[in-house]
Amino acid sequence: MTELPPPVVQAPAPPAPTNYPGMIAVDNVSKFFGSVVAVSEVSFSIDEGVTALLGPNGAGKSTLFRMMCGLTPPSRGTVQVLGTDPRHDRAVRGRISLVAQQDALFDHLSASEFVVFAARTQAVRDADDAAAGALEAVELSDVGSKPLGQFSKGMRQRVKIASALVNDPEVLILDEPLAGLDPVQRRNMIALFHRLGDEGRCVLVSSHVLDEVARLGSRVLVIAQGRLIASGDYRDLRDLMDDRPHRIRVGASDPRKLGSALVDHGLVSGLSLDDGYVLVDTLDVDAFGRQLAVLAVDLGVRLTEVSPLDDDLESVFRYLVEGR
Amino acid sequence: MTTVDTQRSDADRPVREVPSLTAIALTYRIVLRQLTSRGRIIALTMLALVAPVAGWALGSSDASLNDAVRLIASIGLGLVIPVVALVFGGAAIGDLRDDKTLVYLWLRPMARWPIVVGAAGAAWTLTAPITLIPVVAAAILTGTGSGIVTGTLIAGCIGVTVYVAVFTFLGTWLKRFIVWGLAYILIWEGFVARAGPGVARVALRKYTRSILVEQTGVDLDLADFSLAVGIIVPLLAAVVALALAAWRLGAQDID
Repeated sequence: MTELPPPVVQAPAPPAPTNYPGMIAVDNVSKFFGSVVAVSEVSFSIDEGVTALLGPNGAGKSTLFRMMCGLTPPSRGTVQVLGTDPRHDRAVRGRISLVAQQDALFDHLSASEFVVFAARTQAVRDADDAAAGALEAVELSDVGSKPLGQFSKGMRQRVKIASALVNDPEVLILDEPLAGLDPVQRRNMIALFHRLGDEGRCVLVSSHVLDEVARLGSRVLVIAQGRLIASGDYRDLRDLMDDRPHRIRVGASDPRKLGSALVDHGLVSGLSLDDGYVLVDTLDVDAFGRQLAVLAVDLGVRLTEVSPLDDDLESVFRYLVEGR
Repeated sequence: MTTVDTQRSDADRPVREVPSLTAIALTYRIVLRQLTSRGRIIALTMLALVAPVAGWALGSSDASLNDAVRLIASIGLGLVIPVVALVFGGAAIGDLRDDKTLVYLWLRPMARWPIVVGAAGAAWTLTAPITLIPVVAAAILTGTGSGIVTGTLIAGCIGVTVYVAVFTFLGTWLKRFIVWGLAYILIWEGFVARAGPGVARVALRKYTRSILVEQTGVDLDLADFSLAVGIIVPLLAAVVALALAAWRLGAQDID
């Protein structure tokens, strides 16, 4: 990952962590792997409730999570969880749970055995009862005796969540926990995360899917290319994303004629022709959508394609980071 | 799942840590099951069976004690025990790290050394019967007396212990522990150790051979330590290796 220019858009400012005793406090943290910068000068502080960490694959979300759990030390800066360094404070590890992104489980164990093992290694007093409760919370009680090797990806994901819940953690860090779940399970898990947040836990959930984050909660941290580029209320972020110029590719029987008309009508802020297509930039995608077909009919131009080119998450991040 | 009391302050919350003996037992059980794969056990048992077959062949040809000791020293102590210990010892923590399940032991309120001790114990549990039974059987089948049997048993126990500990450390430290372990067994112990007494001192084989020589009176190269040195130094080396493995486990990045 390379050094990026500073953000040029007015994204909501990240909260200053330095004097705020949050349950998780990340202060000016960077992580290098040789010459690769995985995380660069990230600062934020979060407390109880659900917070979503949004970023594309490879943005540095998992590295950040690993540092919060003490699995790898920051190259610069400090990470504090519940007021202490999770890398060196053994006791605090019993108050943190991580659902890692990787699919690794002890496949020879049954779901129940795996969660009981998690409970015992977390020094939970009544491990069997706690494991049964955790499996019930993720709706896997009826398959608890089945070996994990026979589980589907979604079931494995829920077992991981159960094993993370079994010690009643104060801080719950979930790395892409909804991956592999069907829509009903996703809805149930999101409801579970909200319930845990409402009970006073700090629940930090990562995702690279924008719509998932919309349902996860109002507090969002956006990370791209190792840097925290925005944070705050999800609705503010959504407004910011909606305000950005949209790029649309229009296939037409006479692209030049259509392009001229679009400019004359003030529907586009930029336009170029490309091999039978008109590439347009527009600030008002709704008005453009309403008038394009009418204009094409008036001009006698046949439309063959209308495709948004920047509705993917990558383009949202590109806009937030680079303003283009 | 129990409900969190949100009114409770952090100071009221009991500090939970896993007692060391519990951590050893939990790690031992999980690693033992991880290491117990049918293919691995069959392959290593086949390797170990080379020793009794060779012992029987030697015994049926009216062999001397000298020949029998050389056979046990080269095949039993020099090949079977180190290679089987490498596979199980290296994999004890190395496999957990490679398949990314180590996080389920690492991110827990427990010390590092019980994890290492439990993992090494599991490796020892599998290595000992797979190697000691065939190698001691080989000594018996040579039909050259009880001294070689006693010597093989003592040297074998010491060898299994120190090789498992050293290779547990190697597995914690290096991703390609099998390559480095085989290089140590075949190149360092097999050839480099013969270059002089200085380098021989860091060849574990020299200590196990010394025990065998002490018990049989046979003259063998790379075997000039006393029985006490042959036993105590490898055991100390095992403790140091496990301590280094615990330190390395605490200091390394976990996926």
